[in-house]
Order: sequence, then C-alpha cells, then structure tokens
Amino acid sequence: MRPPKELPNPLPRPDGEFERLQAVWEPPRGWRALTQVNNTAVGLWYVGAALLFLVLGGILALIMRTQLVVPGNNLVDYDLYNQLFTMHGSVMMFLFAVPVIEAIGILLLPAMQGARDLPFPRLSAYAFWAYFVGGLVFFTTIFFDLAPDGGWFMYPPLTSYEFSPGLRTDFWLLGIGFIEISAIAGAIEIVVGILRTRPPGMTLDKMPIYLWAMLIVGAMIIFGFPPVILATALLELERAFHWPFFLAERGGDPLLWQHLFWLFGHPDVYIIFLPAAGLVSMMVATMAQTPLVGYRWIVVAMLGTGTISFALWVHHMFATGMPHISLSFFSAASMAVAIPAGLQVFSWIATLWRGNVQRATPTYFLLGFFGVFVLGGLTGVMLAVVPYDWQAHDTYFVVAHLHYVLIGGMLFPVFAGIYYWAPLISGRQLSERMGTWACAIMFIGVNLTFFPMHIAGLLGMPRRVWTYADGYGLEIYNLLSTIGAFIFAAGIGIVLLDLLLHFRPAGKVSTNPWKAGSLEWLPQDNYAIRSIPFVTSRDPLWQHPSLPEEVDAGRHYLPGTVTGGRETIVTSPIDARPQYLLRLPGPSWLPVLAGVGTAVFFLALTVKWMLVAVAGAAVALVSILRWLWQSDVAPSGKLFDVGGGLSLPDYLSGSSSHSWWSVVVLMLVDGSIFACLIFTFFYLWTITLSDFPPESLDLPLLGSSVAAALAWAASVGAMYVAHRQLRPDRTKVVSLALAAALIGVWVAFALSLHALLATNLRPQLHGFASTAYTMLAWQGLHAVLLTLMAGFTLLRLWLEMVDPVRRVVFDNTRIMWYYCAAQGLIALAVMNLPRLAM
Amino acid sequence: MQSTHPSSALDPAANSGAALIDQLGTVLYVGAAIIFVAVMALALYGVIARARAINARSWILGGGLAFPIFTLTVLLMYSLAVGNGLNAIGSSNALQLFLECFGIGEARERAPADGVLKVHVIGKQWWWEVRYEQPGREPVVLANEIRMPTHRPVELVLSTTDVIHSFWAPSLAGKVDMIPGRTTRLRLQTSEEGTFRALCAEYCGGQHALMALFVITQSEDDFGAWLARQAQPVTEPRDAFLKQGYDAFFRGECHECHTVRGTPANGVSGPDLTHVGGRRSLAAGTLNNHIGTMAGWIAGAQEVKPGNKMPSSLAYTGVELRALSAWLGSLE
Amino acid sequence: MRHRSIACRSIALTLIWSWLAGCIPGHDYEPRVIGGDPERGRAALARHECGVCHVIPGVPDAVGKVGPALDRYARRSYVAGKFPNEPETLVRWIVDAPAMAPQTAMPAVPMSDKDARDMAAYLYESD
Repeated sequence: MRPPKELPNPLPRPDGEFERLQAVWEPPRGWRALTQVNNTAVGLWYVGAALLFLVLGGILALIMRTQLVVPGNNLVDYDLYNQLFTMHGSVMMFLFAVPVIEAIGILLLPAMQGARDLPFPRLSAYAFWAYFVGGLVFFTTIFFDLAPDGGWFMYPPLTSYEFSPGLRTDFWLLGIGFIEISAIAGAIEIVVGILRTRPPGMTLDKMPIYLWAMLIVGAMIIFGFPPVILATALLELERAFHWPFFLAERGGDPLLWQHLFWLFGHPDVYIIFLPAAGLVSMMVATMAQTPLVGYRWIVVAMLGTGTISFALWVHHMFATGMPHISLSFFSAASMAVAIPAGLQVFSWIATLWRGNVQRATPTYFLLGFFGVFVLGGLTGVMLAVVPYDWQAHDTYFVVAHLHYVLIGGMLFPVFAGIYYWAPLISGRQLSERMGTWACAIMFIGVNLTFFPMHIAGLLGMPRRVWTYADGYGLEIYNLLSTIGAFIFAAGIGIVLLDLLLHFRPAGKVSTNPWKAGSLEWLPQDNYAIRSIPFVTSRDPLWQHPSLPEEVDAGRHYLPGTVTGGRETIVTSPIDARPQYLLRLPGPSWLPVLAGVGTAVFFLALTVKWMLVAVAGAAVALVSILRWLWQSDVAPSGKLFDVGGGLSLPDYLSGSSSHSWWSVVVLMLVDGSIFACLIFTFFYLWTITLSDFPPESLDLPLLGSSVAAALAWAASVGAMYVAHRQLRPDRTKVVSLALAAALIGVWVAFALSLHALLATNLRPQLHGFASTAYTMLAWQGLHAVLLTLMAGFTLLRLWLEMVDPVRRVVFDNTRIMWYYCAAQGLIALAVMNLPRLAM
Repeated sequence: MQSTHPSSALDPAANSGAALIDQLGTVLYVGAAIIFVAVMALALYGVIARARAINARSWILGGGLAFPIFTLTVLLMYSLAVGNGLNAIGSSNALQLFLECFGIGEARERAPADGVLKVHVIGKQWWWEVRYEQPGREPVVLANEIRMPTHRPVELVLSTTDVIHSFWAPSLAGKVDMIPGRTTRLRLQTSEEGTFRALCAEYCGGQHALMALFVITQSEDDFGAWLARQAQPVTEPRDAFLKQGYDAFFRGECHECHTVRGTPANGVSGPDLTHVGGRRSLAAGTLNNHIGTMAGWIAGAQEVKPGNKMPSSLAYTGVELRALSAWLGSLE
Repeated sequence: MRHRSIACRSIALTLIWSWLAGCIPGHDYEPRVIGGDPERGRAALARHECGVCHVIPGVPDAVGKVGPALDRYARRSYVAGKFPNEPETLVRWIVDAPAMAPQTAMPAVPMSDKDARDMAAYLYESD
C-alpha cells in the first residue's frame, strides 16, 4: 500500500481542533483519577503493581535464603517455610511475571502502533483492578497463617481434601481465579488491539517485532490458561464436594492434574519469555542503530516457540515412571524449542555486529540478559536429556535453571526496558550511573545466588526443603546463594531508588534519547500522538525523519476529535486498511467496581463468607452490565473526515466489528476450557479402561440425552429465525423467537440434568460421574450466561437500541448462542460414548 | 543428623546408573561451557567492535539453525542410548507408545531377568516401608533402609499409600516418582559396597525435608545373612530391664501402630520395628540410631518432626523410657 | 569436603553467635572444665544429637523439649536439679546419668570421656 497523496494534511490546522482533542483526553483529577481508563494511566499503575509484587515475592525469597544459610537453621519452621516457597512461586508467576508482561503491553502497545488507546480501555482497567486488589489480599494470607502450602504446582492428592484440609489450598485455587480472569481479559484486549487498531499501512509484515511477540503471546494465553482454569476448578470441586478427579481409588488420576497444570505451566514460561524477547529485539535494533537482522526469521522463531511450547509439558514429568521410549518424543520437542531461541540469539548478535552499539544502561542490561539467559537455556537443554533429568529433576539444579531462564529471559529485558522506555513516560532518562551499578550488582548477585544451586542440586539437595543435613557438602553453596540473594536484592533496590528519584510521569513528552525508529517515540501526550501516520516501513522514524514534527503538527490522520469524544481508527487485521472510527469510553467507576467486586467474590468464596461473596458478585455483575450497556454507542450514520482524504463511518457490525472479534476470542477461551474437560473425560477413560463407568454405575439416560439434543437444535433454530427477522417492524417476532430460543436452552439443560439424575450416577462416586456432572455444570453456567445475554438483548430491542444496522449486541448474543449449542451437543455425545464400548 | 554417606550425583557408586549419567553430565557440562563462551564472545565483540557488513543469512541459518539442529540431534541420539542402557524396555506397538506418551496404561510388567532382586518400597508421609517378598513365607518388612547385594540388579517396585513421593538415591541412580494408583519401577545396581543416602525428591507435605533413607550395598553372602536374620522373629527378653521396656511398649500402646514380629504387636500404620535396633537411622534418615535418639524420638517425636503421625509419648517414667529405648535398641 | 563444610558452618555460626552474644549481658564466673575444648564440644553435641531432647544455643537443630534447655549453663546452681553444678559432676552426668540418678529419663549415650568434657566445656562457655 502506498500512502495517499493527500498526506500530510495542509497547515495551519483549524482553530480549536487541538484544544478539543486535549479536552476529551484530559484525565480526571483528585479521587476521580482512579476512574481513568486510558492505557497510559492504567498501564503505568499495572506496571507499578507488578513491580510491587516483585518486591514482595522477593522478600519472601530473602527469608527463605536466610533460613537456608546454614544447615539445621530454625529462623522459620517447616510450616511457614512451606507457605513461603508456595507463595514465592505463586506471587512471582501469577502476580508478577504474567501481569508485568501484560502491563507493559497495555502501556506500550498503543504508542507503538499509533493508536489513541486499545479498543477496550475499560477492560484493561477492570483487569488491573481485579488483579491489584485481589493480589494484595491474596498476599496478606501469609500474615494470617493462611497462605497456601502445597507448592505453586499444587499436586494432588497432597492438595486434596484429605491431606490439605483447611483454607490454605482454597486460597490458592480461588485466589488464582481472579488472576486467570484478569490475564484473559488482558489477552483479549491485547490480541484485538494488535489486530484491529494498528495505524493505516502497518501490514502484518511491518509490525514492530514486539507486536508480533504480544500477538503470539495473546494467542498462547487464550489456549494456555484454560487448562489451569479447568484444573483449579476441578480440584476445588474435589476439595469442596469430594468429586473425584485426581483420586486413584475412585476413577481419578493424580497425573491428570500434572498434565493439565503443565499444559498451562510450560507455555506459561514462553508467555513470559516471548514478550521479553520482543522487547529485546526492539532495544537491540535501536541500541545498535540498525534494523533488526532477520525480522522474518524472528517472527518464524516466535511462532515456532509458541507452537512447540504446547508440546513439551511432559518434560516436567520425566520422573513419573513413563516408559523411556515415550519420553523421547517430549525430550526431542524440549530440545527443539532451543532452535528458535538460538535463531533469535544469533539474530540479535548479528544486529549488534552490523551496527555501532550505543554504550548505555539498556545495552548493559541486554548483555546481562545474554549471559544469564544463554546459560539458563543451556541447562534447559541438559534437563531435556531424559537420563540427566532423572538426576536433576526436582533438585536445586532445576531451581537454578528456572531462575536463570526467568531472570535472564524476563527480568533483565524488563529492567533494560525500564531504562529504555522510562524517558517515553517521564520525558527524561533515569540515572545512567545508578543503572550501570544496578546492572553490574544484579548480574553478580544473580550468578552468585543461582550458579551454586546447580552444584547443590547435583550434590543431592532436593527442592522445597526447609532444612538440610550437614556433612553432605551443601553448606558452602547455600552460604554463597544466600549472600548472592542479598546482593541481587540490592541491585533491584538501586533500580527502584532510581525510579523513585528520577521518574515522574509527564503529560506531554517529546524525546527520542536512543534515536529509535519505532512509532512510540513520536511526541506523546494523554491523547497519545496528535495524528496517526500512514506507516510504510518497519522503522518509520528512521525512514521519515520529519515524521515526529508532522505528526505533532496534526498533519496526519485524525488530528482532532471528529465525533466529539475519544476515538481511534480501526483497521483491517491483515493489511491494516482503515475501516471505521471506534468511539472509546472515557473515565468511569464501573471497571473499578467490577474489578474489586470480582476479587471480593473469589476471596470471600474462599473463606465461605457467602453473603460477602454474593455481594461482590452482584457488584461486579451490575457494573459489568452497566458498562456493556454503554458500550454499543448508537451509529450516527454519517461519514467523518479524518484528514488525508479519508472518511470513515463510526460503526460497523459483523466480523468487521472489534466487538465481534473480542467475542470470538472469548469463545476460543471458552472452547479451550471445554476441550480440556473433554480431554479429562477421555484421559480418565483410558486410565480406567473397561471400568469407565464401573459395572455398578449406569450410563446417562439415552432418551433424555436425545431429547436434550433436540431441544438445543430447536433453540438454535429459533435464534436463526430471530436473526433473519431482525427488522424494525418485526420486533414482536424477534422477541418471541429469542424467548423461544432461551426456553430451548433451559429445556435442553433440564433434560441433560434428568439424563444424569434419573440414574444412579452421583458425582462423588467415580471419575466418570464427576466429569459428566462437571460438563453439565458447565452447560448450566452457559445457560445462565445466555439468559443474561438474551435479557440484555431483549431489553435493548424493546428500547429500540437494536436494529439491522446497530446489531453488534444481537450478533454477539447470536454467535455465543451457536457456540453454546455446539458445546452442549458435544457434551451430550461424549458422556454417552461409553455406551458404544459396552 | 550428621553423616558423610554418598548422596551426590557427582559422587556415583562404581558401575551404577548414576555413574553412567555422571559421564553423560560431563559431556553436557563441557559442551555447554564451550557454547556459552563462544556465544558470549560473539555478543561482546558485537557491542565493542565498530559496525561491519555481515551476511545475515549465514549468521541466522548457520548459527541459529544448522548448528543447534546438528548439535541437538547428536545429543538426542546419545541421550536415548544412555536412557536405553539404564532402562531397557521391550518393543510395543505404535498405539501403545502413543498412549504411553500421556502416561496412559499401567507400566507393563517386565519379566525380571534371572537374578533380579525385587524390593518393594512404599512411600508414606514421611517415611519409607521396605518389603522383601519371601516366597512361601512372611515378607521381611523394615523401614527407611534398603539392603542389596552388589553385582546384582535390583528392581525397586515403588508405590505410595498417601501422596506423591519420589525415590532418589543420587549416588546410585536417577529418581522415579511414587504415584497413588500406580506402580513404578527403578533399577539399582552397583559393584561398590557402601552406604548411600536416598531422599524424597517430590514435595510431599510438611516434613518433606526430613524423609531420607539409606541404601546399604553388601556382598551377596553378607546380604543373604542379613536377610535371614531379618526373617527371624523377636523373642521376649530375659533381661529384667529390657523386659521392663518390652512391657512399656505394650502399656504405651505402641503396638497399635507398630509390628514387632514374634510379639503380639501387629499395628500397620507405623514402621515395622522387628529389627529396628539394627537400622542406621530413626525417623527416616533424620536421626542416627542410638539409645539417646531413640528415647528422644519416643518422647519428642513431634518436636523432631512436627506433624508426623507419631505422637510424642508422655506416658512413661524416666526409667521406662530408657528401658523401652534399650529394648528397641536391642532388636538388631 | 567434610572439613571444609564444617569449617564454613562454624564460621557462619560463630559470626551469628558472636553477634547475638553481644546483645546479652555477660556472666561473672566461668567454671573451667579440665581438658575440655568448647569448639569440639559443640561438634560433639551435634554429632551425638543431644538436640533431640535439649535446646542448645549454637548447635544446629537443637530444639528438643524432652529435657531441659541447656542455655546459660554456667549460671545453673544444680545439675539435673540435684547435684551442685561442678564441672566434673556435669561430665559424669553427661557420660552416665542413670548411674547418678536411677530415675532419670536421660540415657547413657555411648561416648568417649573426651567428648563429654568438650561438651561440658561448650555448655559452660555458651550463653
């Protein structure tokens, strides 16, 4: 695509254009500052909260290292220690690593893609508030002796009701619930944002490499989080109601948890690493002042990493006694994932060779990243070697490896990023002097802490031990690790001090200290950039040196506000052709209330304060409904001139709508959870073979199952009628059809329930029954969801807020309906399948 | 407990699986060190040196693709060979292999070759039951100690009665998990006589850190003699002081949980104490076994290992405690 | 390996305890045990696992509650609540308590006389 001849727009710009733009993006002050939804505010809070949890998780680690400084120490007892390591892992993974990568995405993506904001600002705000409030409360359990103590991996049966009674484990299972929701919300925002709010002309192959990383990671979250969402739900069902999923004596299997957990857990490592690698690619090219070498190879490598990462979870299970020959597949996959990593490393090194590298703090942190990450990668290859893993697995060798990979692969790039991008937000650089010192101290600290752990592990020190015996040569290595941990902490402290002293978010920022080529270094303000350029290369600022000046003068697209509110341009997902103007919502308490309500719901549910839980859920639900009610803004029917000879509508429905995309992504998440449930069913079937269900148990009633399937079909038919009849003069017919469709859903649900309840199947009896009832409960949850959606749609229909043009709400309900019907039919078919085997 | 028995993957017993893995490790360390130094040198040079023209394709295809693919392929083949050497298994059909990829299907019973000694090890929170099945006779049961002959393959048949544990004797072999509902296997072999420490490697709750055992390898003759002695039941002591301890054992209801073969004590939830006096350790490798630790363990089990199933016994006078400890210590 | 590790542990413990010791007011008298070496005594206390029954400051894992805590032993008036606290009495008690008090729960743990002397020396030295 070529830029239109009309660009840049002529000067001078009309009077008041700039002032109106400023006015609509003006952030609220005082208490109402908390209602901000703009990514520049929410993103910054989000990063700050993640860093807070890094510090909190780090303090837990320091306590553990102090306990282990000498053998037989009694600074903390076993009970507290077990809570400490569980919380350290959980906080670092769920409250730091995953949130910080989403936070950086929310903060930087709009700037890098020349958008005013991401498409769902309130969703970002909601994700932040649920995470921040829930995370803080979750963390305080450590002060009340209520922190989980089953390890961040929570293997049953240790974590099931028999061996872990009490609330501790529930805090983990439910407490992680809101983090999962928050992560998914963030992923939807990021994926739809990258696909639909890029600047005109920024085709997929011109995206900054970080966008590729985040797009792939968003997809990985969509498919990677569902296994753990399902696993935590199943374990909570087992704990609360004794439904067996992981209990071998009643048709469950403890290894089912490990499969589900690591099917999440391993992709999660790359969910954390790939965005950091994306940041590295951006920074390496800038610091070397030359375009990234092997852009396409890096994209291929990241796609490869994302794909392979779903095929190597079993390498966490090499010691479970599986036959060696079957482990070799996962061994090969685990080694293969080193190839895309190697590709990226060589691309970066080649870039460094080709350019003149600026000697500054980001470069030093990048070098630290190389050193630490490459070593962690090499020990990763060692662990992929099955016989070697039989020794190293579950020892301090693995502790060393994973910290090298995560600190090297994520923390160093993020800290490089802090020094690199801080000027973008505060207008000036952090202290080079403090940064250099911090980098050196952190590098020494991380190696002193973790290198000796490799040796301690091989000398026979297992993980997760609160004490160890003397006389086995472990003393010196533990002493070194403890000293190193404090040195490392000091390095992080210097960075935080530097931020405290030198980081002040500024409104208007116009700086490019590293002479970067990407769009985020255009002059920024609350409204992001003044006008949105037509992008023709991967490094627009290098290709077009006058761009910052032109953009800031309003000489590109959308130099003001044309609808009178906040807005950004939606483009097509692949070739970024401008399609319509997305009217963005402004500040609101609703996402705050919804986020806090969600966190309160999960946490109150844990301690069984049912009234509080219900209140939290109600607040969240009402806030979300109210916010959704405001979201489908009425189309004006006009075309708006956004400059450069381009006129855009302010509304599109169907697959062009950004909202449609978000529902599709949500259905992918939903479908992945359901697929994991189906996997659970077949897994338990193959484990128990002919005993599924055992002789003593019935199968679901065939008659009721068939009737339920017919009810689903009728419901879909009614929905289709509503879809075809959606015209202003047919409101009554559409209403009746919608109501009929809803009745069909509940009839289908009732018949499915009857198919189980009329037999002797009870969920406590056997893995077959518990899985069947869980599928049913899942349908019930969706029946409630469809009821809400149908009611919402009907109400808007009667208020004449739905018509053949303004039909996004209706379409969202409709596609969700079809999805739920398909899911219901599959569930009915699957739970009747053992019939065929009889 | 202080001890210097080998418990290290870097200090393997002669001709053991651990020795084979240790050699593999050496290859890995050397290879990793060379690659690490080379990559870091390239990166540092890139930062320090002036800009220069490069051939992007050869960097990426050579360094990023061809080199790792070649190295990893060789490594994979080598590791498979080592793995097969450690754990030879028979061939099976493709479907079975696919299912086994997901851990589905009971591990197939491998017909033990002639002369393979089978030892059952059962993980419990937080100790190990060890059983030697004796054809036609009562099994020999002990706790927290495995004895095995040198120069003979031993197959550990691993299971658990509560949560997941993992058996790991670093100087002898790699680790294998003990999983509820499943039986797993681990082959041990060495030509070296000695005492080796093993540990639980899978986090198994509160006192996971205090769950060790000792593997004692001895000559075939010594092992045979030991096993024969272990099979002997206990007789009521003649010595008055020991008899006092024997009586205290029953008065304190120790027999509810412990078995002492040859006496009415037949509890099963705690370790079999028939020959407890001859064992190297108490409380699963936590304490050396002598009269002081025995008394301390009986009276302070919850202090030594809080949360374990054995209560701190408060029922005894000082003399009784000493007598009981002496009697148990005499059961060699 | 072993010597190095013990040395290293000792350094760490000494550092910690010398720091802690600075916080506690010193005591006036120190009964000397003939031929006793406090540093070896600490190792012997650890080796014989006296900490299973006793709290002994400075000895790893010595948190037992079966017997009395052995902190600030120099200030005790009596050994085992019976015998005036004299070094030789303490040594005899450590070696064979039942011989002195037949009703005691403390067994005679087999050990050398030298070990017992070292232990006694350590107990008198420690705070």
